[in-house]
Amino acid sequence: MELNTNFAARSYGAARPLTAPDPMAGRPSGARTTAGQFAENFARTLAHAETTARDTMLGDADPHTLVTALSEAQLAVETTVAVRDKVVEAYLEILRMPV
Amino acid sequence: MTDLSRTLALSASGMQAQSTRLRHVSENVANADTPGYRRKSIPFEPARLPGERWGQASGVRAGAVSLDQNELPRVYDPGHILADESGHYDGSNVDLLVEMADAREAQRSYEANLKMFDQARQMSQSLIGLLRR
Repeated sequence: MELNTNFAARSYGAARPLTAPDPMAGRPSGARTTAGQFAENFARTLAHAETTARDTMLGDADPHTLVTALSEAQLAVETTVAVRDKVVEAYLEILRMPV
Repeated sequence: MTDLSRTLALSASGMQAQSTRLRHVSENVANADTPGYRRKSIPFEPARLPGERWGQASGVRAGAVSLDQNELPRVYDPGHILADESGHYDGSNVDLLVEMADAREAQRSYEANLKMFDQARQMSQSLIGLLRR
């Protein structure tokens, strides 16, 4: 009995790495995905708007740059929201599909 | 950079240039009574937007200040501290009427750029709004 428990524990320990999630799984080989690039671009636009807003408040940048950056950020957010709405809508459509 | 976001940046560069112009006009008006002051004027020159090469500079910016080399008017005021033996001193060659016209022109051009900015933004918004239907 004692031996059997030991054996089971050892086998479990040996088999554990096989079931661990692979960090590379699901990631396409090569460069980043288009969606990832989009998200990165979006984050950069928002960060740029924030930096410009802070610089303008501190008197480093001119208000025209601020208005341009904020307009771009607004458009980026609207685009992202529109795309997200479409994706969620498509997902719900799939869920409603009769099986 | 898409065409619409480029339009935004272009209009912003135009507004920036016009506000620099207005600043120099106000400097001229403020110094209209300064003895020996020469009127400042600025040329507009093509400027690159971010990500543009030299050949395709499409923005605008205010260039280096140049001083009006017209003759300074001689003002007769024997009691003035700068007056010479004949009782005259050099005034400034700022013409307030010209400055007012320049300021109004800067305002109108600024409004035109603002209108373009607003229109480009509205076009982008309605394009994205199409996705929401």
